[in-house]
Amino acid sequence: MGTYIIKRMMTIIPIFLIAILITFGMIHLSPVDPAEAYLAAANIQPTAEMLAQKRQEFGLDQPLLVQYVNAVIQISKFDFGVSYVTNKPVWEEVSSRLPATIELTLASLVIAIVVSIPLGFLAGVRKNKGIDHFSRFLSFFGASIPSFWFGYLLIFFFSVKLDLFPVEGIGTWKHLVLPAITLALPLIALYTRLLRASVLENLQEPYVLFARTRGIHEKNIMAKHVLRSAISPMITGLGMNLGKLMTGAIIVEAVFSWPGFGRYFIEAIFNRDVPVIQCYVLLAAGLFLISNLIVDIIQMYIDPRISREGRQFQ
Amino acid sequence: MLHTKNKKLVLLIFIIFLTVSTVLIGCTSESVEKSEADAATESSDMITFSWPRDVGEMNPHAYNPSQMFAQSMVYEPLVSYEEGGELKPHLAESWEVSDDGKAYIFHLRQDVKFSDGSSFNAEIVKKNFDTILDNGDRHSWLGVIPLIDQTEVVDEYTFKFTLNEPYYPTIQELANVRPVRFLGEAGFPEDGDTSEGVEQPIGTGPWVLEEHKADQYATFKRNENYWGEHPSVEQIKVNVIPDAETRVLAFEKGELDVIFGEGVINIDAFNQLKSTGSYETSISEPVATRILVMNTNEETLSDIEVRQALHYAFNKQEIVESVTSNLEEKADNILSPNFPYASNVEATTIDYDVNKAEQLLDDAGWKMPEGKDIREKDGKPLEIELMYNSAESIQKIMAEALQSEWAKIGVKLNIDGVELPTQVERFSNNEFEMNFYSTSGAPYDPHYFINIVATEGFGFREAISSYPNKDELLSQIATVQQTTDENERQELYTSILSSLQEQGAIVPISYIRQIAIYQKDVSNFSFPANRDAHPFTGINIGE
Repeated sequence: MGTYIIKRMMTIIPIFLIAILITFGMIHLSPVDPAEAYLAAANIQPTAEMLAQKRQEFGLDQPLLVQYVNAVIQISKFDFGVSYVTNKPVWEEVSSRLPATIELTLASLVIAIVVSIPLGFLAGVRKNKGIDHFSRFLSFFGASIPSFWFGYLLIFFFSVKLDLFPVEGIGTWKHLVLPAITLALPLIALYTRLLRASVLENLQEPYVLFARTRGIHEKNIMAKHVLRSAISPMITGLGMNLGKLMTGAIIVEAVFSWPGFGRYFIEAIFNRDVPVIQCYVLLAAGLFLISNLIVDIIQMYIDPRISREGRQFQ
Repeated sequence: MLHTKNKKLVLLIFIIFLTVSTVLIGCTSESVEKSEADAATESSDMITFSWPRDVGEMNPHAYNPSQMFAQSMVYEPLVSYEEGGELKPHLAESWEVSDDGKAYIFHLRQDVKFSDGSSFNAEIVKKNFDTILDNGDRHSWLGVIPLIDQTEVVDEYTFKFTLNEPYYPTIQELANVRPVRFLGEAGFPEDGDTSEGVEQPIGTGPWVLEEHKADQYATFKRNENYWGEHPSVEQIKVNVIPDAETRVLAFEKGELDVIFGEGVINIDAFNQLKSTGSYETSISEPVATRILVMNTNEETLSDIEVRQALHYAFNKQEIVESVTSNLEEKADNILSPNFPYASNVEATTIDYDVNKAEQLLDDAGWKMPEGKDIREKDGKPLEIELMYNSAESIQKIMAEALQSEWAKIGVKLNIDGVELPTQVERFSNNEFEMNFYSTSGAPYDPHYFINIVATEGFGFREAISSYPNKDELLSQIATVQQTTDENERQELYTSILSSLQEQGAIVPISYIRQIAIYQKDVSNFSFPANRDAHPFTGINIGE
């Protein structure tokens, strides 16, 4: 199992190098000239010589390959350059805002798991009963309502009308409730549906029938066998959606004035703050990769068939 | 097809939904009262305000991301810009200008202390000027900066600088929120260069930065050592709320006392809040002008009759009224008459007149062919493209309104929404036919506007290049900046502004105004004369 994990980790490196290459290419292909963007952010009217000087400073006059290698070396040291707007190291700016975003995403992840596992499971087990209809309604509702709109609705009812939670800001658990629910809603919709489908599928499997014929208590069959087996696709979905949570946080942070990384990123886009944009894209890529890795490892514990299959291919 | 059972369930869910909504809405009046009570208890001596962005690093000599209103709370200028562009003594008690218009001598107030207790004197004024001049590239947009040749401490409270050539707007430019405002000694980094940041935000202003949580809030407390009239509230709290809808909701809940600015909430929300009667609202004097620029380098628009025809066929009154719900006011002049030197422009006021527009186009040779609805000249249809900033809804709706308006006189207007940087770039590279623009307004105009009209690389100079009197205009603009004679200056301005307008490539649309909306317990709110400054002078809260 150890070798499987190491092998899995090794595959991350080339993927990450490609991710760097893509962001690198994106920035070089985009019509924004970093030197010009820098001068604009510093309120300096660009002249030809100043542009040339800045290009040299940023190493933009070097061959592309050299620039790429330099970028990789710097990024491996967590050096994402200096923000054009604030003149501070990007990593410093980003890392001071990451905790707020992590707090928000973790809270929504917890909400999503706590709500969708029982709901999806029960909906599958009690197909076409009340709870199933409710879960389906929630799935459609959650998947189709835009999160900014849902956020406004929550603020309108629970803050402005009922005065239960503050409208904006950060600090207490009360501040966290509404944004976390807003961010969690699409995930709840997705996971509930996934788990329900998976439970239904598992109920058709022969092992359920065998277990029943062996006289195992129905509750045990459901909890120990069906749920354990059915949860697997949901965990895969979880891994794929951690990155989605982070990107979804951009909108939620703006609506709830949550001082996280997503809002900082939006400002960076408006200011054409290239190093910050690059850092964000790479972090998102990194998050996707790492969360997928973690999910694979968890999967392996839950379902040993996976690592065994891996060994078969060797 | 739904089963009956499912139908019942859907119905049930809807009923539950409706009941819950009704109950929630039913709670409205009760909870509003409650939140008003909340607001009153916490804010007897504090005003809570919101701003879309963090106040920034509070460096008086820096731009983005520092926010001007916050800079203006902490740092002060030598002279202040007041109502109607009147320049009044501030940190300088008085000033003298030499007869040749090159030397400026400032007599500083002697009772001014920085918020850390250090004294404000000619030394520190020079130190601030010097670091600004060391970073001249950043500040060269401000006409006076590149012209300053020498700075000098005459005595403890007398400061002097000398210009390379006379430049009349000097005093007015010193009233700007940035960069010529003064940081205390302890705020300077070791090497004295503020371009990379300041140590502490120490100013002479009525407010002192007390606490700052990046992206969350900043609190300012009253400067108890302030030399001028003390603010009547003790604290101003600025919550960072990037989203306009959230700002409105936070205000309705009572978490905010004041909303102020331009474009900080959308027009419908403003009108809706106003109509409830539960809040006070006000609208400022014009602070800037929204204009339409026509590129006279384009063959069609090089003809003054075509430009005038388009202007005559522009129902400004109605479009401005409906698009901005009267928050903006129809503009007849490029600069509002409440600006310095802008009061007696002699240009024909162009009132909406479709017949006249059609007549002008006929005269210009653009005839309506039988059975078509677009005019033609030598087989070429009358087609024009208007560029607008796609993120600005007012520009977008106005562009659409113009499209249908001008279609009536047989002009096909193509509208092209672009991002702001593209808009600026295409404008300055002269790659446009028509474009929206807003003047910088108070305290920059009129000189800043005519300056960019005359300077290459901003877009205007290129756009008006087929004006027959272009050379005369440019030389007048060059002279007006240098003239030391007040009457001559007024005459030149009148002539410049009149002919810019008469030639019709710069079409005034509307005067932009600031809005404010505040809770009933807030009193003495007044708009700053300087568009960029804070509005908290004299503001009061509570009984």
